Amino acid sequence: MPDIRELGPQGRGMLHEGWSTEVADYVIVCGWALEGNAFLVGDAAGGLYAFEGKSGTTLWHRKEVHEGGILAMSIHPDGHIFATAGQDGRVLIWKSKEGESNKALEIGKGWVEHLQWSPDGQFLAVVFSHYVYVFGADGKEHWRSDKHLSTVSAVAWSKSNELATACYGRVTFYDVIRDQVNQKLEWQGSLVSMVLSPDGDIVACGSQDNSVHFWRRSTAQDAEMTGYPGKPSQLAFDQTGMVLATGGGERITVWSFQGNGPEGTVPGELDLHIGAISSLAFSNRGSLLASGSRDGSVFVWLLQKNGHGEPLGGAFVGGRVEAIAWRPDDYALAAVNANGGINVWDFKNRTKSSPKGFS
Amino acid sequence: MTIKSKVPVTILTGFLGSGKTTLLNKILSEEHGKRIAVIENEYGEVGIDQGLVINADEEVFEMSNGCICCTVRGDLIRVLGNLMKRRDKFDYVLVETTGLADPGPVAQTFFMDDEIRSEFSLDGIVTLVDAAHIDQQLGRSEESSEQVAFADVLVLNKTDLVSDESLDTLEARLRGMNRMARVVRSKQADVSVETVLNLGAFDLDQVLERRPSFLEPEYPFEWTGVFQLEPGRYEVSLEEGPDPMMSLVVVADQGTDEESLNEGAESCVRLYAESAELLHPGDKIPLNKHVNLQLQSKGRKSFSLEVEKSGHLGLFTQHTAEEFDIKVRRMDTSVSESGSNQQNDLLIPPIAERTWVAQHEHDDEVGSIAIERLGDVDPEKLNKWLGRLLSEKGVDIFRTKGFISYAGEPRRIVFQGVHMLFTSQPDREWGNEPRRNQLVFIGRNLDEEALQSGFDKCLT
Repeated sequence: MPDIRELGPQGRGMLHEGWSTEVADYVIVCGWALEGNAFLVGDAAGGLYAFEGKSGTTLWHRKEVHEGGILAMSIHPDGHIFATAGQDGRVLIWKSKEGESNKALEIGKGWVEHLQWSPDGQFLAVVFSHYVYVFGADGKEHWRSDKHLSTVSAVAWSKSNELATACYGRVTFYDVIRDQVNQKLEWQGSLVSMVLSPDGDIVACGSQDNSVHFWRRSTAQDAEMTGYPGKPSQLAFDQTGMVLATGGGERITVWSFQGNGPEGTVPGELDLHIGAISSLAFSNRGSLLASGSRDGSVFVWLLQKNGHGEPLGGAFVGGRVEAIAWRPDDYALAAVNANGGINVWDFKNRTKSSPKGFS
Repeated sequence: MTIKSKVPVTILTGFLGSGKTTLLNKILSEEHGKRIAVIENEYGEVGIDQGLVINADEEVFEMSNGCICCTVRGDLIRVLGNLMKRRDKFDYVLVETTGLADPGPVAQTFFMDDEIRSEFSLDGIVTLVDAAHIDQQLGRSEESSEQVAFADVLVLNKTDLVSDESLDTLEARLRGMNRMARVVRSKQADVSVETVLNLGAFDLDQVLERRPSFLEPEYPFEWTGVFQLEPGRYEVSLEEGPDPMMSLVVVADQGTDEESLNEGAESCVRLYAESAELLHPGDKIPLNKHVNLQLQSKGRKSFSLEVEKSGHLGLFTQHTAEEFDIKVRRMDTSVSESGSNQQNDLLIPPIAERTWVAQHEHDDEVGSIAIERLGDVDPEKLNKWLGRLLSEKGVDIFRTKGFISYAGEPRRIVFQGVHMLFTSQPDREWGNEPRRNQLVFIGRNLDEEALQSGFDKCLT
């Protein structure tokens, strides 16, 4: 096992030095916009930044856009607009290129913790306490959920008109156009995170009691994966919906949905981080998994369909990795951390070098 | 990686009207140089003036395994999870709970959630008690006694609305329920910030240093009054009280300083151990003898007392003087020298009084049990015993605190737990100190004998 500090911020293996910079505070959110030409970052002081995708030059910077700090950001599928939310109870819709906000939605007195654009970009789901609101890109309210059993902990779109919400004891699927509940999946536990398989059939939730619970919507079958040392807040499905990577400890546990799995199968385990996993992201194509940890390390893994995998590269950025994002073309990977650091690496499959060469 | 110290958190509990918001406002408005984030759960009370205040609905999340120790406060995990990202903006967190909250899940959140545990440390639980109403509240609700049981500091508030005697009685009752807590009295929650913040309450050493009397013995009597009496006949009268019978010992030559009171108490324990003689109203109370006063009839009952030579007489009573309105009067002044023989003039007030921690005070279900033993324990046996005890009785054991001497270990082992969760870690070295063990359990319907004998079996 390599000493993660020796990896350095410039990266080893298939992670090659790209650019890096720093912002004023703990970075909370990040994402790529404008076809990968801009990298957007929001911090705990409410600062919002856009960096040029290839060079890292600052495109624009806005201060204190949300009083108390930014809590969530969602970039519209077209990449030209994005939304931010914060502790000030507001949602702002921005133009990616200019860094100008032309819409401010006052949701209420309290935190707005989650935002998600629908896959077709028509709707923006906004989580506020026990309620979920759906707005159009024009800022008009289209729909509002009934009161949930607890504060909503996650939202995900299964289709352009169907929204899944997770809270204590329940996942609910709403048809936001017809205003009806399509399905309720119940289980007594505090669901802290949720991810849907790309086809929308599998719902996986991380639970406060250190387990992952998942359901298959088509058969209503459910299963519980226990034995995590911590709470698996980080979940990621690959684009095929075949493998589910989960955090919940220092190891990444990968469940394969091949055959009759994952029930009764032994998961793949990716074990190089020395601190608990704090972020996971699959590449847009293929089965490359990027992982970040509280220990400040970042690794990239090549996964097989059975859930096992090999490391391709790594880096050490020095602060808890808060979020990680592949550029839309998958040729660059970005990580943001608790010290305000931003690192972007070029990711190239150099045919001549050994994929394991870095270790 | 930067190594950061954990942010201390104080939990503030207490029934509605006990003065939590007043205390919060006071803390936030005082100049203490600390940046405090407040997580407030009670809407609609007085507004908080300043500081970072976050409102969160109290969300108590039970887990599918049904284990109560896994029950946590989901809202706290969420809010603290976000707060830790801006931790340079505050150095202390205060969590206010609603009046009806069970403190268990709040405390457990700091043990159960790995992320919260790594960033925050539970510094202490402060419970505000409305001195005028707590007696009724304790009888009516479990939450109220749990809040008392969980506390590291009990702020006995609104003391101006209650007599000093009732405060003493109340304090004795609260101490009977929770012997680990420090009791602080206040009128309008006007306690110093230091009594609430940075308690290090979960740091056992401090608890013990702060209150060396924390293993104060329990006596079969709650009250002692010392009376200066000249030779003659006296009447001891009692109102109707909580019991149809009350034990009493009257001793001669009782001193009034703390040491003499303690000595008197110890010798009275021996007298109390002897079987009591039953006395009926009108009977004469003998000196240095354990007696039971029969108090079944209605109204005020009188017993007589004869004093042969002047001196200090000590009354050691099973219940407090206030509960029975115990009065001592001179009876044989047939002709008053001043010509006035009004009864009030003959009333003799005590020259010294003391309220004791009583055994099974008021028969509260919630109480604390202390075990103190010299010597070493076998770590394996202790872990097995504690593990089984907490898994079987963890629902009823609210808090566990103490330190242990492991055979062959040069350092003290500090134990602390909330319900079924407990942690143990080595602390400072014993050095020349005698090896000993102190454990305190606070909980409901605890079996003292079983706990003592269970612990004794772990000794080497």
